[in-house]
Amino acid sequence: MAGIQIQNVCVDYPVEGRGVRRILNGINLDIEAGEFISIVGQTGCGKSTLLRLILAEEMATSGRILVNGKTRTQPDRTCGYVPQRYSLFPDKTVLANITFGLEVSEFGPFGLFNPARPKRMREFRAEALRYLRRTGLHEADGRKYPHQLSGGMQQRVAIAQALILKPPVLLMDEAFSALDPGTRTGMQRLIKELWRESGTTIVFVTHNTREALCLGTRVVALAKDSTGERGASVALDLSVPHLDFDSNEEEIHRLIREVESATLPVCIPREETATVYN
Amino acid sequence: MSFLRIHAQPGRSVSLVLSWFLFASGITAYFYASAARHRDNPDDRVTPTIAQMVQGFRDAASKPAPEHEDLGDAPQTTFARIQSSMLWTDTAATSRRFLISVALLFPAVLIGLHMAMFPYVGAFFLRFFQFFDKIVALSLLPIIFIAFGIDELSKVMLIVIGVAPTIILDTFNLTKSVPSEQIVKAFTLGAGDFAIAYRIAFRQIMPRVLNSIRLNLKSVMLFLFAGEMIAASDGLAIRIRLMQRQMGMDTIIPYVLWVALLLFLVDLGMNLLNRKLHPWFEET
Repeated sequence: MAGIQIQNVCVDYPVEGRGVRRILNGINLDIEAGEFISIVGQTGCGKSTLLRLILAEEMATSGRILVNGKTRTQPDRTCGYVPQRYSLFPDKTVLANITFGLEVSEFGPFGLFNPARPKRMREFRAEALRYLRRTGLHEADGRKYPHQLSGGMQQRVAIAQALILKPPVLLMDEAFSALDPGTRTGMQRLIKELWRESGTTIVFVTHNTREALCLGTRVVALAKDSTGERGASVALDLSVPHLDFDSNEEEIHRLIREVESATLPVCIPREETATVYN
Repeated sequence: MSFLRIHAQPGRSVSLVLSWFLFASGITAYFYASAARHRDNPDDRVTPTIAQMVQGFRDAASKPAPEHEDLGDAPQTTFARIQSSMLWTDTAATSRRFLISVALLFPAVLIGLHMAMFPYVGAFFLRFFQFFDKIVALSLLPIIFIAFGIDELSKVMLIVIGVAPTIILDTFNLTKSVPSEQIVKAFTLGAGDFAIAYRIAFRQIMPRVLNSIRLNLKSVMLFLFAGEMIAASDGLAIRIRLMQRQMGMDTIIPYVLWVALLLFLVDLGMNLLNRKLHPWFEET
């Protein structure tokens, strides 16, 4: 399983007529292989930017990110990805969505006429059905198109689609944010179970503190730095105890308050950042 | 004025009456005017009666064109007679040009797709096609006739030059609107650049591209008619022009309706094909 090293990463975005604006400032984070890490923070603090950096969809202005000890220049199979929206291909059935990764990895873009294809596709479909059932869906759902599924079912398929390739790292960007509370709880339990089974390293970005606390074995808060690079976010590795869905409500509320106060703008002298920010 | 309410819900029968009202009143007005003119002048050729138009259409569908009447004996079977008729030969000539032109729009779709997917290709072509799209294709007609002659190629080229830039830019914009999450997701599933271009983006934009081509069918016909009217020996447009010289409204009006019907059927066919090929697409 893969670990992720984020080393002194800064990200600047150009602002028209005003030079650049720093979004992330000196982020350092070591994520061990097999960890389930929650990244929490207020809207606009750069959570999704950090995820896109790990994904290699975006490049850092300075610093580097290693996944499995390697830097990457574009997204690849090293990291699975479950976004909040548009996670499925609308033109493909559920089964075709799940088998897409296996198929395209083996046969490439124009492998329709490969003689080995029919046999392999049968195997892929059998494997996809196994994942479909594991994520709580029925075989009949495999023939449906994504728009015929509810939001929760779509995210279940998206998780199956990512996990069937057994990626060392799974990145989830507000993956359950658009779901109703009941469905959301079910999905949280599912992803936790799948994580325990697969041992995949999961980086879960959310603005929901309760979700972050109940899912992650470690919680990292991104908070805007009110000193130094004003407005840029820094990472605070919070030493909060790991909670479960059945943990004491009072304890959960106390920790939510603790974490939420950590995501407020911080005021820490720059020389101290190395010790405080992981 | 309850019919000018945004939340008004006209009933089924009211909707039916309203949707056919303009057709019915247009047809009634025409035949009223036609009858009045024929009362004054029984030989009037400007507003033919329905009987004259039916006869004109029947003649067009069963007799050869005047310029071909002297070519051998008249065919015996009904099918052979229809096949050598003026309407059939004109429709076949126009359809051939139309189909070649629509087929030539397919490379335009591929150019638009590649422009949107691959930034270098986009940088190479985009500005050029944005400029080219602004050129009025009909103003190029003399240049096209000089460069390609006055045979079939020039008419097809006129359509391609007139419609291709629109299709290219439309495809470009449609491809750009494929959510970036889908592209990133496909990369994380192991797809390469061409797999994403053809298996993800192309398949997702195809129904909308087909809709775009459908909406541009009228432009295709417009350029085709312009080309035919100026330089063609057969085809629906040149026949309408020839009939205009003879004041042959009893043939012109059925021909205009025939062209509209053909275009309507092509549009309907493409819509059905789109639904069949892309059952997941709801906008069609």
